[in-house]
Amino acid sequence: MAPVVLTRALTVQFGATTALDAVDVEIGGGVTGLVGANGAGKTTLFSTLLGLLRPTSGAVSVLGLEPRRNGRELRASVGYGSERNVFPDDLRAYDFVRHMAEVRGLPRREARNRASDALWLVGLGEERFRPLGTMSTGQRQRVKLAQAVAADPSLMLLDEPTDGLDPVQRDEMLGLIRTISEEFSIDVVLSSHVLEEVERVCDAVVVLDAGRLVTSGRLTDLAARQSGLVVELVDVPDRPGTAEAVAALMRARGLAVETVGGLLTVASDDDAALDAVRDAVAEAGARLRSLGGRHRRLEDVFTQPDPEPALDAEAPTGPPRDPMPT
Amino acid sequence: MTDAVSAASAASAAADDEARILDRGYRRYTGHRRGVGGAIRSVAWQGLRSVLGLGRPARAKVLPLASIVFAYLPAVAFVGIAAVLPVDLIGEDALPTYSDYYGFIISAIVLFCALAAPEVLVGDRRTGMLALYLSTPLDRPSYLAAKVIALAVALAMVTVGPPLLLLVAYTFEGAGPEDVGDWLVLFMRILIAGVAVTTAFASTSMAAASLTDRRAFASVGIILLLLVSASLSGVLVDQAELSDLWWTINLLAMPFELAQRIYGEPGDLPELSTWTVVAANLAWTLAGAAVVAWRYRRLRVTR
Repeated sequence: MAPVVLTRALTVQFGATTALDAVDVEIGGGVTGLVGANGAGKTTLFSTLLGLLRPTSGAVSVLGLEPRRNGRELRASVGYGSERNVFPDDLRAYDFVRHMAEVRGLPRREARNRASDALWLVGLGEERFRPLGTMSTGQRQRVKLAQAVAADPSLMLLDEPTDGLDPVQRDEMLGLIRTISEEFSIDVVLSSHVLEEVERVCDAVVVLDAGRLVTSGRLTDLAARQSGLVVELVDVPDRPGTAEAVAALMRARGLAVETVGGLLTVASDDDAALDAVRDAVAEAGARLRSLGGRHRRLEDVFTQPDPEPALDAEAPTGPPRDPMPT
Repeated sequence: MTDAVSAASAASAAADDEARILDRGYRRYTGHRRGVGGAIRSVAWQGLRSVLGLGRPARAKVLPLASIVFAYLPAVAFVGIAAVLPVDLIGEDALPTYSDYYGFIISAIVLFCALAAPEVLVGDRRTGMLALYLSTPLDRPSYLAAKVIALAVALAMVTVGPPLLLLVAYTFEGAGPEDVGDWLVLFMRILIAGVAVTTAFASTSMAAASLTDRRAFASVGIILLLLVSASLSGVLVDQAELSDLWWTINLLAMPFELAQRIYGEPGDLPELSTWTVVAANLAWTLAGAAVVAWRYRRLRVTR
């Protein structure tokens, strides 16, 4: 299946500043998180995907179309939720969503119906006739999502959709995005600088740092790349130093072990490693609280990036998507 | 009684046949999509609504409405005079010509430009709507085309509407052209003159509005541009005794001078040929359009 987004050696420069530096990304279906700190190049990448910025060099393809050459056709299939949150205050939410649906190509009557439907979908059905200026940040973020989805896009690009939301609102927004993607087969690329929310909702991730690609791939693949065991010992006051003793015994058996307090991280997770952990704990007289597989968190991607980026030309970063029902 | 029950049952059955369960809710859309033309129409219509304050709080309607009232008030007054006092009694010269009418509503037109152009252009850049529009099938030229249409239609309400009102009202009162051919010629002159004035002021005011992201600055800038150019041309010709061609830098007077020529009148600046006036208006219109195009081509829209 063709990737939703494909870039090859994509470089965007503003004068002497390089916003994107030879970025190779392949994004498949589902929900993909675009992660990076402020200034990492997330918004620049979105703008380039929409054809708003001309790449300095390299190639871009979105939904099989080149943004600069087939911009109109492409943008008719894309719903965009911008980062900025300052829409016309006087306009009612319903009028705003209806207007954007019309601009994205829907006939007037269809735009009217779908504006209401989209606002109900995001939980603002009762509030749809309120002016945008009277809405809370959370409600305005939902309106942005509604206008992006109202015209039934094939792909949604959502720039910081949880910006300014409290934890409860953030959970609701992420759940909503996930639901929209799953129930209506709309692929989503959302940008965020909060790793935890990307881990929670996304199928795949693209990590940028200072305009460079740190890594990209399915979250399951990224997590699986860091194999090993995590051993947690019970802290017993009358037996100090047991963690160090267990670690020393395991090292004596040829295992690479790191200790942080009562937490031991073992590099391998094969049967020999499990036996070694069991024997070392027993020999040292330690008490085991938990023993489990070592999962790499997205945060680790920043601290220990892959030596080889996870770009795999044969496997887009998201799960395969069934053909859209017609 | 039985018949009534039967009729009620039949009506109920018919209603059942027509009854439908409407399963509302978000769903995929596979129907027809309008192209860029539809997007332009939608943005132009929204721009016009915004200029007129439609769908907005009452305070947003006050100034546009006041400008429109100022533009139509003289026309209503003249129509009233013509209705109450016979033309034979007051004389034809008592009523202004169609080209003279602009002299009564210059302030209203300038005020409307100063309100409408910033409303059409500046708001989108400030609020982030521009990035949102450019994420749709619209690109910069088609977006600007929509905005030009919105501003031109709005301005036409004060440049074409009042003379048309005069023509129609005078005609009903028997004070208009008696011959159908003359009536049509006058009608066309009103349209062409109105379009010329609209185009010139739309271009100038959009150029000024494109250079700042503050509505108030844009409004003041438009008024200053028009007034300063008028004063400067007067100083250069009258005080410095430079060539009469310097009148052509008068951005406020040139459109109305062109309107007078379209009505077949010598105008207030007979020392300038009609072709010079046409060329000056064309040049200023193109210059304004070039400024807007330059500004939006350079504008970096990233979010």
